[in-house]
Amino acid sequence: MNQFWNNIKPRGDQFMWLIILALSVWGLLAVYSSASGLAYKKASGDTELYLFQQCFYLLMGFCIMLIVHSFHYRYFMGLSRFLLYVSYALLLYTLFFGVEINGARRWIGLMGFTVQSSDFAKVAIILYVTRTLAKKQDDIKDFKKGFLPILIHVSLTCALIAPANFSTAAVLFSTCLLIMFIGRVSLRHLGILTLVLGVLLSIMVLVVMSTPEKYLQHLARFLTWKHRIENFSKPPQNDPDVTYQNDHAKIAIASGGIFGKFPGNSTERNFLPEAYSDFIYAIIAEEYGFIGAIILLMLYLFFLYRAMRIILKSPQAFGALIAVGLSFALVLQALINMAVAVNLFPVTGLTLPLVSKGGTSIFFTSLAFGVIMSVSRHIEEGEESLDIKEEVKSNKINELSEIV
Amino acid sequence: MAINTNIRKVILIRTYSAFGGMLVFACFIIWYLIKIDFIERKKWLNMADSLSTKVFDVAPVRGNIFDCNGNLLATSMPIYDIIIDAVAAKDEEFETGIDSLSMGLSNIFKDKSKDSYKKLITNLRQRKERYHVLHKKASFKQMRRVQQLPILRLGKYKGGLIVENKNRREKPFDYLAERTIGFTQENVAKVGIEGAYDKYLAGTSGKKAMQRIAGGTWISLNEDDEIEAQHGNDIITSIDINLQDVATHSLMNVLKLNDAEWGTAILMEVQTGEIKAIANLSRVSEGEYKERFNYAVGECLEPGSTFKLASVMSLLDDGVIDNNDLFDTEDGSHQYCPNATIHESEGKGSGLINIQTAFEKSSNVAISKAVFNNYRGKPELFYNHLEKLHLTKKLGLQIQGEGVPLIKHPSDRAWSCTTLPWSSIGYEVLVTPLHIATLYNSVANNGKMVKPLFVKKIVNNGNTVKEYNTEVLVEKVCNNETLTYLRKMLEGVVIRGTGSKLRSPYYTAAGKTGTALVADRKHGYKKKIYRSSFCAYFPAENPKYTCFVMVNAPSKGVFYGAAVAGPVFKDLADKVYANSIQLHKELKFTHNHFSNDLPSIQVANTEDIKQVLDKVSISSHMHNDSINEFETDWMQAEMQDNSLAIQPVKTLKSIMPNLQGMKAKDAVYMLEKSGAKVLVEGFGKVKKQSVKAGERINRGITIKLQLS
Repeated sequence: MNQFWNNIKPRGDQFMWLIILALSVWGLLAVYSSASGLAYKKASGDTELYLFQQCFYLLMGFCIMLIVHSFHYRYFMGLSRFLLYVSYALLLYTLFFGVEINGARRWIGLMGFTVQSSDFAKVAIILYVTRTLAKKQDDIKDFKKGFLPILIHVSLTCALIAPANFSTAAVLFSTCLLIMFIGRVSLRHLGILTLVLGVLLSIMVLVVMSTPEKYLQHLARFLTWKHRIENFSKPPQNDPDVTYQNDHAKIAIASGGIFGKFPGNSTERNFLPEAYSDFIYAIIAEEYGFIGAIILLMLYLFFLYRAMRIILKSPQAFGALIAVGLSFALVLQALINMAVAVNLFPVTGLTLPLVSKGGTSIFFTSLAFGVIMSVSRHIEEGEESLDIKEEVKSNKINELSEIV
Repeated sequence: MAINTNIRKVILIRTYSAFGGMLVFACFIIWYLIKIDFIERKKWLNMADSLSTKVFDVAPVRGNIFDCNGNLLATSMPIYDIIIDAVAAKDEEFETGIDSLSMGLSNIFKDKSKDSYKKLITNLRQRKERYHVLHKKASFKQMRRVQQLPILRLGKYKGGLIVENKNRREKPFDYLAERTIGFTQENVAKVGIEGAYDKYLAGTSGKKAMQRIAGGTWISLNEDDEIEAQHGNDIITSIDINLQDVATHSLMNVLKLNDAEWGTAILMEVQTGEIKAIANLSRVSEGEYKERFNYAVGECLEPGSTFKLASVMSLLDDGVIDNNDLFDTEDGSHQYCPNATIHESEGKGSGLINIQTAFEKSSNVAISKAVFNNYRGKPELFYNHLEKLHLTKKLGLQIQGEGVPLIKHPSDRAWSCTTLPWSSIGYEVLVTPLHIATLYNSVANNGKMVKPLFVKKIVNNGNTVKEYNTEVLVEKVCNNETLTYLRKMLEGVVIRGTGSKLRSPYYTAAGKTGTALVADRKHGYKKKIYRSSFCAYFPAENPKYTCFVMVNAPSKGVFYGAAVAGPVFKDLADKVYANSIQLHKELKFTHNHFSNDLPSIQVANTEDIKQVLDKVSISSHMHNDSINEFETDWMQAEMQDNSLAIQPVKTLKSIMPNLQGMKAKDAVYMLEKSGAKVLVEGFGKVKKQSVKAGERINRGITIKLQLS
C-alpha cells in the first residue's frame, strides 16, 4: 500500500497540482450552489445529491490523474494511435446508435455511465497530434510527410464529431491548429488551411442562413446552429425569450459586483439554464464577484504558464510538446467557456474544465491533466539527466510504440 | 546540435506567441467582464429586477349578495379548468398509465367513457398537443382527484397536468330572482344587481411582489402584500328568498298551466318600496321556463285595465266627476273615431253605471267616456296627472335596463283621435310592470309614492358602507278624499268585482284585474293574444304589501286577469299571511271550549305543551295512573272531563317510538338524541316513519320522516 502510494503520490510541478486542486474545489462549491434549480426539478430539492455526485466524479478524476501521472507519459504516447482508432469506432457508433439528448446524438451508454464520445476523442486526437508532431520534428515542414497525416486524422475526428456537436468540433480543430503551430508546422501550410477552411465555413453559413427553416428541421442540428448564429450576430431587441441565456448571464455577472454575493447566494442560478455547466462562469462571477472571476481566469493562465516552463526547461523533450499541447487545449476550452458567459462568443456548449458539473467528461479531463502532470513529473525529476541521452532513449521508445 | 537549437528556438517563439494570443483572448474576456460589471451594470441590474421579481395582481374576493334575512343569493366559488399537455409524459409512463388515467377521468367527470378518454388523449399525444382543455369548471374536489391520477400526478412538467384556477359566481338559489340578482361578464352588458353594483362587489386587486426560486416556482418577496387586495363589499338586498321561492314557483305553475309565453310577479313592501320578491320567467321550450329577461324592470307594454286606476284617480282628484255621475255603457261599445270603437271585454253593456261600478266591473266604455268627456278639451290635464304619477318617465331604479315609458303628450305628432280614450283604459301607453306596481303601492301607502328598492345596504365585514333609504317620488299622489274613494273601489273589485274569486277569509285585499289584448307585430290586435294581470295590495285596511302579477299570452283559453294572474297573487298573499303573525286578526275565545274542541296531543315535549295550555288557559291535570312525570320529557294527553289529562310517555332511547302526529322539531330532537340521523320531507306533522314503532334504533341509523 505504501509502495503504491509512493508510486502515485503527486509529484511534478506543485503549483500545477495546487491549481488543479483549487479549480476542483471551487468547481465543487459552484456546482453545489448552481445545481439547486436542477435539484428541485429532478431530485425533489435534494441539492446534496449533486454535491456528492460531483464529489464522486472529482475523486474518481483525481485517482485517474494520479495513476496516469505515475506512468511514464511515453506509454500513453505509444497508445495514442490505438486510442485514436478506438475513438473513431466510438464516434461512429455514437453517430448512428447514440442516445439522443436535446436533439443531438452525443452520448453512448458505457458500463452504466453515459459517455460523450467526443470527450474521449478530444483527448485521443490531441495525444495523437502532439505525439506525431514530436516524432516528426525533422520532417515537419514537409507537406506530405509532416502535415498531411496529422491533418487527415484531425479532419476525420472533427468530421465525425461535427454532426452532433459542431462547436466542439470547431473548437477542437482550432486547438489542433494551435498545437500544430506550436509544433513548428509550416506557417504557409497553416495559413493556406485556415484560408480554405474560412472560405468553406462562410459558404456553409451563408447556405444555412439563407435556407428557410422548414427545410432545416430534419437536418440534424442545422436549425439550432442557425438560431445560435442569428442570436449572436444580431441579438433581437426587446425579445427576452431569445436573448434569455445571455441576458441572465450578464445579470449574474453584473449583480455580483466587485466582491460578489458570496458563495451560495446566487439568484440567477434559478433563471440560467445550464447554470452548472455552460454558464458556471457567470454564476462564479455572481457569487465571487469581479475579483473571483479574474482570479479564476488567472488560475487557468497560470497553469498554462507553468506548463510552458516545461518546454522552457527542455524544449527538445518529447513530452514537453505533449504537455504544452494538452495544456493549451484545456485552457483554450476554459477561455472559450468564459467568452460564452460574457457573451464574447456564441453559445458553444463547452464546459469549464474541472469546474463545471460533469460526469464522465471529468474523467477525460483528468486523463489529460494526468498526462500533463506525468510529463511535468518526469521532467522535473529527470532535470539533471535531461540531455541527448534522454533524447536517444525516447527515440527508442518511439520505435517501440510504433510496434504497438 | 545547431538544428536542435534552432528547433528549440522556433518552438519557444511559437509557444510564446501562442501564449501571447491566449493573453489577448483573456484580455478580451476581462474587458467584457469590466463592461458588464461596471459600464452596463445599471442596465443589467434593472433587468434583473424585472426578470427575477415580478409584481402579481392579487385578485380580490367578490362580495356576496344576501337577501333581507341574510340568506346567500350570490357568492363566488373557485372552479378549475383541467388542461392536459399530452406530450409531457415519457413513453414509458404514458404506456403504463394511460388506461387507469382514462378510467379515472371517466369516473371523475362521468362525461366520456374510459375508451373515448383513452382515444382522445392518445390522439392528442400523436398530434403533439401541449394544451388541451379536458374539462372546464371542475370543482375543487374533482381537481384534487385528478391530481391523484396516474401520469397527471407527476405534475406539470413530467405528467402534463395544467390546472387553471378561476372563480365562478354561484347562486345558491339557482334561478330564484336570477335576472334581478344578475351577472357580470366581460364585454357583455352588466345585468341586475351584480351589474349595477359591480364597483362595490368587485373590490380592488392588490399587488404582491414575487421572486422566482428554484424549480421555477414563485414565492412572495415579503410576508404581506405590497398593496392588499380590497375584497368586494357585500350587498344586502330587499329580497326575501322565502317569498321569492313562492313567487317563482307559483308563477312557474301558472305559466305552465296556461302555456303562457312569459310572466312576471312582483311583491313590494308598501311603506318602504322594498322589493321582496321579483320573478321573471320566459318559456324557453315547451313547458320549460327560465329567467331570461327582467320583464318587471325592462319591458314596456300596454298595461290594459290596471291603468284605469290612474284615470279614475285623475278624474276624482280633479273633482270633475263624483259618485253620482252615471255613464251609459250603451250596447257594450262606443265609437270614438271612424273605425275605432271601444268594446266592453264581455261584449255587452251594463246600462247606466257610476264610476265605482265602472271600475269594479272594469268597464272600458264607462271609464273611457268619463275621461274622454272631461279631458277632451284639455288633454294636457290628463297627461299632467300621468306625469305626476311618474308614469311618463323612468323610475330611476337601482338596477340598469329600465324600460322607457311612452305616454303621448297632446303636442306629440303621434297624438290622434284615439289617444285619449284608449290611454284611459291602458292602451296606447307603454309602461313597465314596476310602474303599475308603484302606482298601486302609492294608493296603499296613503298617497305617498315611493321608489321600488332592491338594494338596502352595502356592508363590508359587517360594517355598513352605504345605506339606501326609501326614496319618496311623490309625497301625495292625490287628495285624501280621492284616496279613500279609490281604496273603496279597489276593495270592491275583490269583494264583488272582477277579482271576487281571490277573496280570502283570513285577510282582505284590494286590487284591480287587467286583461289586455296584445298588439302583435304582424296582425295587430286581431290575433287575440291576451296579457292578463292583477295588481293588489293587502291587507286592505292596513296595507303591508303590494303585488303585481302579469302573464303574457296564456294559450289555454283562460285569459282573464283574475283567473290567470290571480292565483300567483293568492299564493304569495297566503304565504305572507302565514308568515307574518302581525297580519293576523286577533282571535278571541268567545265561548268556552268543549271537550271535542280540544286538541288531542300525541307525543310532545312536556314543557312546551304546558306553556301552550297556560297561554290559552285550558285546564290540564296529570293522568290518574301516570308514572312519575319527571322521568321523561315527553307526554301524551287525552280528554278527561273538560280537562286534558297529561300522561308522561316513557321513552327508551333504543326503541323507535310512534311519532305519528308529532311536530317535526320534537320528532327530530327525540330521534337524534337516540343517535339516529333524520331525514325530513315535507312540512307539518309526522305522517310516516321509515322505521316501525317498537323496533330497535341503532346508533347512526338514518330514519326518514314524511311530514304532511
